[in-house]
Amino acid sequence: MAMTKSQRRHVDTVVRYIFLTIWLSIVVFPIFWMVSTSFKPDREWFAWPPVYISEDPTIQNYLVVWADVSEYTDQVHTQSLQRPWEALGNSTLISFLATTLSVLFGSVLAYGVSRYQILSEARMFQLLMLRMVPPIVLIAPISIWYGALGLLDTVLGLVMLYFLTTLPYAVWMSKSFIDEVPREMEQAAEILGASRWRTIWEVVLPLVRSGLVATFLFILILTWSEYLLALLLSKTEVITLPIELSKYQGSTEGRVYGRQAALSVGITLPLIAVGLIIRKHLARGFSFGMVRR
Amino acid sequence: MSRIELVNLRKEYGSVVAVNDMNLTIDDGEFIVFVGPSGCGKTTTLRMIAGFEDPTNGEIRIDGDLVNEKEPRDRDLGMVFQSHALFPHKTVADNIAFGLRMKKVPADEQARKVKEVSELVRITHLLGKMPAQCSGGESQRIALARTLVTEPSNFLLDEPLSSLDAKLRRELRAECDRLHDELQKTFIYVTHDQEEAMTLADRIVVMNQGNIVQMGSPLEIYGDPVSYFVADFFGNPAMNLVEGEFVQSGSGLEFKSPQFDIPLPAKYSATAPGKGTLGIRPENVRIGSDGGGASIIRNVDLVEPLGKDTLLYFETGADRPFVAVVEGTQAVNRHEQVQVGFPDEAIFLFAANGDRIR
Amino acid sequence: MTAEATLNGSPAKGGGASRREATRTQGIKRFKWTVLTPLLIMMAFILLPAFFLQGYFSFFAFSIFDAGDNPGFSSYFEASTWVGIDLWKDALNDEKFGFAIIRSLLFSAGVTVGCFILGFALALLMYRPFRLQGFYYIFFILPMLTVPIVIAYTGEMILYQNGPLNDIIGIFTGTTNESSFLYNQEVALTTIGFMEIWNWTPFSFIIMMAGLASLPKEPIEAAQILGANRFRIFWEVQVPLLRPVILLALILRFLESMGEFPKTWGLLQGGPGSATETVPIYIFLNAWQFFDISYGAVLSYLVLFMMIFIVMSAIWLLRREKKSLDAMYEARPQEG
Repeated sequence: MAMTKSQRRHVDTVVRYIFLTIWLSIVVFPIFWMVSTSFKPDREWFAWPPVYISEDPTIQNYLVVWADVSEYTDQVHTQSLQRPWEALGNSTLISFLATTLSVLFGSVLAYGVSRYQILSEARMFQLLMLRMVPPIVLIAPISIWYGALGLLDTVLGLVMLYFLTTLPYAVWMSKSFIDEVPREMEQAAEILGASRWRTIWEVVLPLVRSGLVATFLFILILTWSEYLLALLLSKTEVITLPIELSKYQGSTEGRVYGRQAALSVGITLPLIAVGLIIRKHLARGFSFGMVRR
Repeated sequence: MSRIELVNLRKEYGSVVAVNDMNLTIDDGEFIVFVGPSGCGKTTTLRMIAGFEDPTNGEIRIDGDLVNEKEPRDRDLGMVFQSHALFPHKTVADNIAFGLRMKKVPADEQARKVKEVSELVRITHLLGKMPAQCSGGESQRIALARTLVTEPSNFLLDEPLSSLDAKLRRELRAECDRLHDELQKTFIYVTHDQEEAMTLADRIVVMNQGNIVQMGSPLEIYGDPVSYFVADFFGNPAMNLVEGEFVQSGSGLEFKSPQFDIPLPAKYSATAPGKGTLGIRPENVRIGSDGGGASIIRNVDLVEPLGKDTLLYFETGADRPFVAVVEGTQAVNRHEQVQVGFPDEAIFLFAANGDRIR
Repeated sequence: MTAEATLNGSPAKGGGASRREATRTQGIKRFKWTVLTPLLIMMAFILLPAFFLQGYFSFFAFSIFDAGDNPGFSSYFEASTWVGIDLWKDALNDEKFGFAIIRSLLFSAGVTVGCFILGFALALLMYRPFRLQGFYYIFFILPMLTVPIVIAYTGEMILYQNGPLNDIIGIFTGTTNESSFLYNQEVALTTIGFMEIWNWTPFSFIIMMAGLASLPKEPIEAAQILGANRFRIFWEVQVPLLRPVILLALILRFLESMGEFPKTWGLLQGGPGSATETVPIYIFLNAWQFFDISYGAVLSYLVLFMMIFIVMSAIWLLRREKKSLDAMYEARPQEG
């Protein structure tokens, strides 16, 4: 049966929206469930049939988890080890520091690779290995070595490892943007009297700003949610948010879904906020130079 | 006083010779145009003067100083790029001030100079805008201003107008000319457009395959080309070039080709016979019976009225049309037979290797 | 004019580097080392000693009982005894390790294919602008912005026997459903796989969006004019032009899922039974639960070799694709 062009377009649109909406609900449901559970009083956590939206919403979970409100602290389902604000502070410090270092350093390195081939193509691919070999294979000796150096349970120790493991992405992503900056732009700056660092700082990096922003977010995602290294290298002093959350699972007091959800919301919100702020930069930058524009 | 000398300048890329032992002196205040087809080495030469390419061999001197070893920024040059290369993240004013800032000029003087120069190129109204908000012609003016403001002694312009449309190109060409007159600085201009070269240059340097083919004023280049290449490159419509053979006939020389045979003027009687090319500019082709020189009878194949002039295309049987320009809208019809004359002084002869036969 | 004056007499000869070239080469060299030094120092400072220790422990068996209560750095060496290649032999005969590798490979392959198909399909539905594009885009990247350990615990809330998933399935099928998705040996790893797919589909989606959006329009339009239908255009124009991107999306995703740890560990610690004992979990169990650092080191080395082999093959493939892409676009000669 032949369809006219506008009929076909109509069918296309309907099909598209059906599929997209199905996936949308799959994407949104877990997040909805997390938020919804965080407002449930404890009797609704395990109710059957499950409670989708609490009939008796409460902010008790948030108060217990984040504010340590004393009138609830003697109740069951309360952790004695909680230090969520400290964990938030550590997470923020460590991931922003590591990400900033990684992006700054990575983009300058990428500039060097793009313009002066300071790493050959083979070396560039070898650099990827820093990321592609799972950290579990080196974590035990690193932990022993860190112990000897006194880097266990320190911000610096984690920042250095996060920097190393995310650098390949920083270099690869920013290089794909820097490659697109026209050489004439730099030559114009040069002939007007700018030095190399000046040119990088004033001309090249601003031109790839949106790419760097996308790179920054992507690496922030990786460092913010990193679990294994944080678990093994800093379990007592410098606790990050993922580790703070995992304490609930290990507890012997049974499942405390509402509390977990309240903490989860707190862990997730900052990343989503950052993601929304810079969403318009995100569309670019993930092709790693594998596409020619 | 600023004099640029190129001495035995050579640039090789692997086994490819981009510029072949070039010698050239550019005088202070001269407007010199490098022209030639793409790949002829003109841009490479310019970029060597700028310092973006290092010569394989030879010297570049500015004011007698050898500058081969100097960085681009230390050569007292300004450069305008084909792509304009404006910084898209800075306002027009910041773009123009960039060079001053790099030279650590005080802020108030920067502002004054930016204002001055933007008046000179008439872009005062654009200063607050971003480059993306400006049209192609405006961008080119801004690029000029950015270069002018640092007051270099020499301006390098790398096909600055090639990204613009025909009308803007004419307009900015006039602007370049005016600026050159006002500033009296050296302009080195690279283009592949012969018309730009003809209208702008004090002196044209015609390049081909890394060599200077001919150097001279526009009129010299046009009126007295040294080779087939130069004759063919300059002029629009291009010179009629007919391939054939020079044959001895009696006391004189005759030009024979599949298209036509004509006797050649007496001054060529000493030329050796052989294969070659006869050239005549379309505007020198005489239509009608009056006047001297050889002539033939031909069918008009196509009439192209341009308003002021009319182009007549003749059947030749060769790939290249034979064209004549006549003034006004002369009443010649298609397929009409006319007499086509070759005035003696308008005939150019080229040997088989392309050299001019005088 | 001193140095220049001497040069005046004899211009630089025959293709040799000029002085400026030399200083610039030096400048670039300095730039290169300025940029590389911190990285190299950090690698020498952290990774090299780690490799050395790893090597040491794979031949010297470390015993937690000999180390005592407060293991300082030197006590690690005092508590280790030379065992030669015994541990390597053990590891190569370790059936559980073999299964862990198979599990990891299957897990990663499944996740990679899942992420890729979903991500590519979504990108195909989304890459041309339409009214709600921005809206869907924001939501579709949300899973990537969610921390894996959060996904694990939220997943548990949804998947447990009295959870909403069973309820929803029950509503659709009209029966009471009490499936166990997590504590059932047969499906546990698959469940974790679905969480991983949920988590990282946005990554493949974004890569494929970037790829599709940057394809040149002309070949596609030309194919349309020539009468190709959508599927032909997809297979004969879009897919071939996207090959390097596709390969990249597959490889990155595969290698990243080989290292998946937080969801697997956070929820199931390798259980039930050993149903979710993937390679990272197995190494973790040995080195950190049983404190058998030496055996962990041997396993780690074996995994490292395997990963290096996989990465090298991947790199070889990627470079080949990138070269053919570059060649395609750079065939035109340069102007000058």
